[in-house]
Order: sequence, then C-alpha cells, then structure tokens
Amino acid sequence: MEPEPTVLDSLRKAVEAMPDDVPLRLHLATMLLQAGQRDEAVRQLGAVLQRDPGNAQALGLLQGPAADSPVISPERAGSPAVPPVPHATPAGADAGKTPHYDWSQAEDELRDVLPAMFVGGGETEDSASAGIDEADAYDTEQAGLTLADVAGMTEVKQRLEAAFLAPMRNPELRRLYGKSLRGGLLLYGPPGCGKTFIARAVAGELGARFIAVSFADIIDMFVGQSERNIHELFEIARRNAPCVLFLDEVDAIGQKRSQLRNTPMRSAVNQLLLELDDISGNNDGVFLLAATNHPWDVDSALRRPGRFDRTLLVLPPDAAAREGVFRYHLKDRPVAGIDLARLAGQTDGYSGADIAHICETAAERALMDSVRLSEPRMIGLGDLEAAIGEVKPSLGAWFDTARNVALFANENGSYDDLAAYLRKRRIM
Amino acid sequence: MTELPQELARASAMLDVRRFDEASALLARVVSAEPESSRAWCLMARAHLGAERYTEAISAANRAVSLDPADEWPHRLASNALVHLGNFPDALRAADEARRLAPGYWQTHVCVAQAALAGQRPGVAAEAASRARALAPNEPDVHFLSGKVSLARGQLAEAREHQEQALALDPAHSGAMNELGRIRLRRHDTAGAIRHFISAARATPEERIYSRNIDVVLLRTVSRTIYVFTLVALILIWIPAVTHLDRLPFVIALGMTAGLTAACFAWIVLRMPREARRLVRRTLRAPRVAAALALASGGVAVAFGLVAFAPAADLTGVLPVAVVITVAARLAAFAALRGAARKHLRVVPVCCPPR
Repeated sequence: MEPEPTVLDSLRKAVEAMPDDVPLRLHLATMLLQAGQRDEAVRQLGAVLQRDPGNAQALGLLQGPAADSPVISPERAGSPAVPPVPHATPAGADAGKTPHYDWSQAEDELRDVLPAMFVGGGETEDSASAGIDEADAYDTEQAGLTLADVAGMTEVKQRLEAAFLAPMRNPELRRLYGKSLRGGLLLYGPPGCGKTFIARAVAGELGARFIAVSFADIIDMFVGQSERNIHELFEIARRNAPCVLFLDEVDAIGQKRSQLRNTPMRSAVNQLLLELDDISGNNDGVFLLAATNHPWDVDSALRRPGRFDRTLLVLPPDAAAREGVFRYHLKDRPVAGIDLARLAGQTDGYSGADIAHICETAAERALMDSVRLSEPRMIGLGDLEAAIGEVKPSLGAWFDTARNVALFANENGSYDDLAAYLRKRRIM
Repeated sequence: MTELPQELARASAMLDVRRFDEASALLARVVSAEPESSRAWCLMARAHLGAERYTEAISAANRAVSLDPADEWPHRLASNALVHLGNFPDALRAADEARRLAPGYWQTHVCVAQAALAGQRPGVAAEAASRARALAPNEPDVHFLSGKVSLARGQLAEAREHQEQALALDPAHSGAMNELGRIRLRRHDTAGAIRHFISAARATPEERIYSRNIDVVLLRTVSRTIYVFTLVALILIWIPAVTHLDRLPFVIALGMTAGLTAACFAWIVLRMPREARRLVRRTLRAPRVAAALALASGGVAVAFGLVAFAPAADLTGVLPVAVVITVAARLAAFAALRGAARKHLRVVPVCCPPR
C-alpha cells in the first residue's frame, strides 16, 4: 500500500529532528520506495550508509533503486585506474553488486602508492590506533577500556582519580582516613562530549562489570511497572558485583518531581531513591555512576549525601581529545594528508558529536565530487576545513542554559567549576 | 501494530520528560504503521508543539480531528499552535470548539482564556478563566492564567493574588514568578521585579525568557537614566541665559547633575540582588551600552562647554546649537541602544497541553 503524503512528511520531519536515527531513516527510505520516490530513497539510504557503512538492509534496498540513481557505477568504482576506496559508502554499497572484483587484492596492490592518511603530528599509524580507541567515546560500546584510552581531558581524569577511583582502589587507606564509599558520581556537561565513554573507562579502571541504562531503557521502565523494573535493575547490579551501574541521562529518570505530572514517573523517582539508599547501606561492589546534560533538572533528593553527591563536569574535548576524535572518525574513510593538530586547533568549542558531523560532511563532499567526476577521490584536509566552516558548534544552547545556572542557581557552589569555565571562556 | 498502547505509553513518557525529538521519531513510526490512531496523531501534535514546530503540530492535530471529531484534545493542541503562529481568531475558534465538546473539563476553559488573551479579548479571557477556577481551584496553571488575565485588564492586586496562589500550589512555578516580576515593574519597582525574574531563572534555568527579561529591565534602567540625564541637562543649559550666572556655578551644576544621575543609578543597582549587580556590570560593558553612555555624556559635555565658554553676547546664538547637540546626543544614545528600551517583557504560555 502506498503511504500517505502526511505520513511521509511526518517521517521526514522526524528524520530532520533525529538525523542519526538509522532505523528511522531506513523506515523512511522503505516508505519512499513504496511511494515510488526512488531518488529521495537513494539519498536516505546513502545517509544511512554514511552512518553505518555495513548496514545490510540499506545495501539490500539499494540493489533496486541504485541502478537508476546517480551513484558511482560498480564498473567505474572498480576500475584499476582509480585507487580503491575500501570503506567509502557508495563504493562499499556497490561492492556487493560486483562479486567479480577483488577489493582486498586491489587494496593490497595500491597500498604503497596511496598517500599517508595523516600528516603533521609525530604519531605513526600504530600509535594512532590508540587514539582511535580513545575517541570511541563518542559512538560505540567497548569493553575493557581504561582512562588511558581517553584522549586528553587530563583535568577530568585527575579529578576522577581523586574523587572516585583512588578511594575505591585503596581500601586500606580509605579505612585509615575514614573515607566513606557512600554515594555515586554524577557526570555532567554538554551533550556529545564523552560522559558515557568516561563512565565505561571508570568501569575498566575498577575491573568491574558495566551495566549501562540508557534513555530508551528508562522509558521502557515507565511503560511497565516502573518500580519493579528499577528494583530488578539494582538487584542485577548487586548480583554481578563488582559492577558499575551507569544511569545515562539520569535527568530522564530522576527529573525533579515537581516537574512531573505523570504519577508512574513520580513513583519511579521515589523507587530510585529507595534503591540508592539501599545500596548505600550495602554497597559491596556496586558503584554508581550517572550522566546528565541537565543536572539542574535532576531532583535535588537524588543529589543529597549518600546518593549522587559527587559531581564531575565533563567539558568539550580539549585539543588532544579532538585529535583523537578526528582520528577515530576518519580511520575507516579514504583520507590523505590530514593534519590532525591543525584540525584540532580549528575546532575549539566543538563537541565530539560536532566533530563526527564534520567528518561526515567532509565525506559527503568528497562523495558528491566523486559522483560528479565519476571517479572516487580521497577526503583531503580541504574537505575537512570546508566542513568546519559549514558545521557550527552545537553547544551554544547548552551554554546559554549553563550561564543561567551559574548566574542564578549556584547559591551553594555546586556549579563553581562550571562558572569558572564560563568566565574563562568569557561566556559569563 | 499490536504494540500500539505500549508505543503510545512510551511516547507519552518521552513527552513528559520533554524529549520531543525522540518522541517525534517514535510517533512517526507509529503513525505510519497505525495511521488511524487519533491518539497517536495527538501525541505527535504535542511533540511538534514542544519542539516549536507549530505548522506541523496543526497538521497532526487536524488529522486527529478528522479521525475523532468528538475529541476535544486535538482542538486544544491546534489552538495552542495557532496562538504561537499569531493566528488568534482561529486559535479562539479551535479553543471554543474544544470547550463545546468538553465543557466540564478545566483545560478547555484555560485554552479559551489563553487564546482570547493572546487575541486581545480580556473580557472573554476573564470569563473563561473564572470558569476554569470554578472547575479546578487547585490547579496552579489556572491561577497563573487568571493572573495573566487580570494583569492584562490592569487589575494589579488581583493579578498578584492569583500568581501568589499559583505559587502556593506549586512553589516551583517559574511562570508565576515571572508574572510577579511584571506586576512589580508596573508598580515601578525595578529591584523587586528583577528579584522575581531571578527566582524564575533559578527555578527553570533552561527557559531563556527570564534571563532575557532581566536584560530588558537593566537596559531600560540604563535608557531611562540617559533620558533623565539629558532632560535635566537640557533644562540646565538655559540657566546662563536666564540668570546671567558666572561660568563656575554653571559647571558645578553640570557636575552635580552628572553626579546625581550616577548616584540614582547606583542606588537602583544597589537595591538589586547580587546576581543582578553582576549582570549590570556586564550590561554596562556591552559595546552598545557603553557607546550610548559615551554619546549622551559626550554630547551634554560639548553642549555645556559651548554655553559655558561663549561670551555673554553670543549666548543667544550658541544656545540653540547647544540644545540641538543635547537632543542629538540623546537620540544617538537611544539609537545605540537599538531599541532595547522598547523591547517588551516576555511572558510564558501555559505549558503545551497534555491530556
């Protein structure tokens, strides 16, 4: 059945609002194909493959409309005259259609003639791989991370060590100094700046299991019997000790009760408080971490002593971290002559997510050129610099709110570190 | 879709925590699978409203109306979006329709009051607000809206009573705090107004209306200070011509005027809370404010200089020039402030209407 235009419009709006939601784009592409809008479907599928280069469903859907669309033909892409583009989206997408062409062999043959991926900076390809892991912060799950895998952000690491890790790792000294382990750590800061990654690294440092509760999990809790779901979650953490229980976007679960009209959600907050107090009483091996972009929306009861009483501000990545993020997002793309230090210097104030967007924009630019010239080309420094010109830092709105908080809601000094940063950046 | 109720509950929970974009994405999937679900379209409209996509909100609400014409909710949602788009007559019509369908539900009366208030019909708004109060005397939003209606009708005491009632029912109601600030301002109590705006910003820091209102009040204060200073200067310029005084008392008068104006400004600022004082410093350092102050004081100094140093015989010729310079300085100062003084204080609407 052909979908209605209103439905397609709604889907388009939703995709605009959530550009990184791959299943949603796939859904829109499917509907567009059903509606016979093949060109737009191909565009959406291309965007899906940019975000998830191996997406089987997108590749499958592309088999149909791709033949009619202006993407690179497999024959051209596979021509020995052009360098292979092993991970470039269109070529990758078309690779499935050319079983006779051996991409690996072509890659091996041309490896020596390809220019170096990264220039400037003293790091070799091998040492760069360490940076790749560091920046994984910004998208994927990874077990066994430690703080050494976090690029840059020295200040955050030092504060994390002092406030959380050192007492955890030194029980004798902890007892000697009478330091309590009660309570958890709340990471806060602008979105897309590595809070989740740092939480995973903390779990790695402690050699503990890691249970991450995402926003979607939280919402699922509210749909069922929220109190029971929350209780079960904490029970699982206790059974799996030592375990780091990480509540991502805790403002969703622990929002100020005064702001909640929905009774199940209010009771969910109450249940969360009960569980936190229980853990405080019997916290052997359960470490609580939470992250939020809006600590000011978190119910004050959650931030009382013994609960999430320690906070750590995770600011936008510093230069070293930005280099790591660029390296990570470019590692699987055909790049040449990229001066990471220069790019890091030009992206002060950008979040990790913004940098990911810059890399995607640069890849899109190179892709469009390749389509126009019918010949794939490498992503160069110029593409990335042009992308930096196009992509503006997305943290302005967050800092506007943060400024209000630091100015008007910092009576007890909870946001002194934020205020100091805002003054340093002349935002306040 | 077999999971429709769960998906709708999930979307509803997302809306409750103000995750409008995620809710839109989820609902886009839901309505493509279940295009006949009126509730899904209503939630979609609410998500668009929250994300300030008003045209899309109206489309979704209209779709819900076509699926379930007897439901009042989509009419309220449409009315709310129409108010934001400035289409007040249609907003009032949609709100009226909602009230016709559910006259016993307080939200429909609040919706009518809000649309009527936006459309400059305070009489209709007052009547609807009164009915809402009768139906839901313990709802803070009802008192909040009643206060707004009273303020629009110039009934300051009544407006204050309603807002205080809203705050008694919900001590974190930042909209009511903002309204109390506006009431104080009507009573020319700048410091009191700023105190209320700061409370509102403290309660809801992500709402930028409150900090903007503080900025507007501070800029107005600067602007009025410049106005008073140039006005007094304009009067003083005539003194030598009228009284034939010597140069020294005239210069002293200028100094006293400047000093008194600065003292008045300092007195107003000192009465403000600490947070506002910090903002005053920032406001005064802002390039356009600094330029306005420099233009006004520079213009007045030049005008005084002309009058003070002109021989008594030339005074009649110099005086009009000095007056023109002073007036020009005042106009240039206001231009530098680029209409800051004319900016209106913002008000917050009642939150996007849940069921």
